[in-house]
Amino acid sequence: MSLQEFWDYLVLGVMLGSLYAVIAIGYTLVYGVLQLINFAHSEVFMLGAYGSLIVLQLVDPGDNPSALASIGFVALAMAGSALFGGMTAYGLEKVAYRPLRRRGAPRLIFLITAIGASFFLYNLAGKLFGRDPLPLPEMYDNHEVFSVFGAGVNITQLLQFATAVVMMIALDLVVNRTKLGKGIRAVAQDAEVAGLMGVDIDKVISRTFVIGGVLGGVAGFLFANLNQVSYTMGFIPGITAFAAAVVGGIGNIRGAMAGGILIGIVETMTVPLLGDEWRSVSAMVVLILVLMFRPTGILGQRVGRAA
Amino acid sequence: MLNKNIVKLAIPLAVGALALTGCSGDSGSGGDGAYKIAFQGPLSGDNVALGENMQNGIELAIEQANAKGDLDFKLEYVAADDQGLPDKATAAAQKVIDDESVVAVVGPAFSGPTNTSSPLYAEAGLVTVSPSATNPNLTDPKNGFKSFLRGVPNDSMQGAGMATYYAKKLQAKKVYLIDDKTDYGVGLASVAEKGLKDAGIEVVRKAVPQKTPDYSATAKDVVNSKADALIYAGYYQDLAPFAKKLKDAGYKGAGISGDGSNDAKFVELAGDASENWFLTCPCTDATVEAGTKKFAEDYQKKFNRAPGTYSAEAYDITNMIIEQVKGLKGDVQREALRDALAKASYKGLTKTFSFDENGEFKGTDVYLYQVKSGKIEYQGNINELVG
Repeated sequence: MSLQEFWDYLVLGVMLGSLYAVIAIGYTLVYGVLQLINFAHSEVFMLGAYGSLIVLQLVDPGDNPSALASIGFVALAMAGSALFGGMTAYGLEKVAYRPLRRRGAPRLIFLITAIGASFFLYNLAGKLFGRDPLPLPEMYDNHEVFSVFGAGVNITQLLQFATAVVMMIALDLVVNRTKLGKGIRAVAQDAEVAGLMGVDIDKVISRTFVIGGVLGGVAGFLFANLNQVSYTMGFIPGITAFAAAVVGGIGNIRGAMAGGILIGIVETMTVPLLGDEWRSVSAMVVLILVLMFRPTGILGQRVGRAA
Repeated sequence: MLNKNIVKLAIPLAVGALALTGCSGDSGSGGDGAYKIAFQGPLSGDNVALGENMQNGIELAIEQANAKGDLDFKLEYVAADDQGLPDKATAAAQKVIDDESVVAVVGPAFSGPTNTSSPLYAEAGLVTVSPSATNPNLTDPKNGFKSFLRGVPNDSMQGAGMATYYAKKLQAKKVYLIDDKTDYGVGLASVAEKGLKDAGIEVVRKAVPQKTPDYSATAKDVVNSKADALIYAGYYQDLAPFAKKLKDAGYKGAGISGDGSNDAKFVELAGDASENWFLTCPCTDATVEAGTKKFAEDYQKKFNRAPGTYSAEAYDITNMIIEQVKGLKGDVQREALRDALAKASYKGLTKTFSFDENGEFKGTDVYLYQVKSGKIEYQGNINELVG
């Protein structure tokens, strides 16, 4: 691999990794406050992509929209995906998890419910939207904008990376600087005591789900923009992002970002070095290695103590 | 050769007939004099468009045969959805086998599912005639797929066709060859690789599994390899995002893919990125060839869209089956129909269907298509194009 190729793949890896990071945050947030792996998060991601598709079909960008219109279409699509993702996550919490929590169900039941909800949602999506993949309408003319170390970056990639970074920074600020963030951290640290101190636990949990859902939904849009929309699209990125969350230290937001980007780079670098068929293998090798030497993950601490 | 096979088949047949005399003894016809023709292929899942193309062709043939009024039995259609996946195929096949009024199966559509479900069909003696499963190994006599007949030239022809086209017409120096790790993709790629190497072309062979989440890195790898041509052996669902990424990565060389991508869906999903892609297929374009014009019109009328890849072939095969069912004059046993079809020769709209002693299609024609201004345009027979 020449130096130039190294930079090319590194840039691609960071782009892909930033998407994994945004999905991973959804897992980590929920785990942080509930100690629950929300396996239905990959379906939140998938439905987010459908949300943007529905919005774009309603407004129909047509051929060659102007630059200003392009920005509008992207913003609308993003809003659609955020709405769908947020609503799905909110509904999941309300229907699938809250009743169990009220009855004090054991942890294992939550896990099974999560997997059940995931199957239900993706089959429902297949039924509703059809089982054929669908393209996201083109919202802008994709061309190269600038280069990093000689590696060209086009609009789609820039959009993907910039959105991910902005969302991650915003989330970090919310969790560390706002009252809601304080609530999230309090519930994460000790839900019972937080409740005694006057924190409305249900509200905090529900909002945590919505935040994770919005991020997941937008990631779904970005992913669909680079690939296509299909009802099965959630599974592989979902599992990879889950691995990224564990690598970074599940329950830790900055850890999820670091883990996501690390996994993205490893996967992308695998392609020229070993070939595409090894990309998931090498991602999981990283997971195993990290867990062997640092079972809590790279930054292994819970949300409550991360700040 | 044929005679020997008949003797081999006759023994278990006779034994089977004796064993069945006590029971109803009828594995073929349904109670109400209706015979069913089944289709096994993807009717849901990722490559559903390919399955629907064939399903429509079969339904049209059955409808027309029933409407003609010269049959003393009724024909019905049964769908068996295998999603194009090997692990769903045995269940789909079992469903068809258990329905006693099914006398023949069109399909399985894909090579992987054919591989897993053919032993079941062989055991049941239920004939399957595939319009589209093209992996060369399927007709290997070692498999014992006694009920499998192939109604299409296999991938040796298609892969060789791609290789010839690149070598002679485009004069490629270095070809980047990708398979998608399915039975179909690996089979096609292996034949193409051999053809290219024989023609003295340098080949970079890679495997990119289906559903890879991001094709950017692979596209970059193609560009960095400095290959001037690319062959993708796989299905449209994966080729479409890959083609987009290739365009983004600035790939300027030629691209060619096989019948798994030869569907309008590919163009719809990939948009501009599909422009100029070559697609090969052992199938003809029903809307262009003179023999299938009438069929294309009927199809358009019934389904409100143009026939797709293998629609006309599936239609022909169904008619071939119907002709043989008629020939058996009211006493349709599964094994008897299988033997009759294996020996039969039928001149369909698209081509003449006949099989060698292993159930392999006799014939080698492969056709070339190219995406031009958002449409898949028929170019003609590859052998004639390279001259």
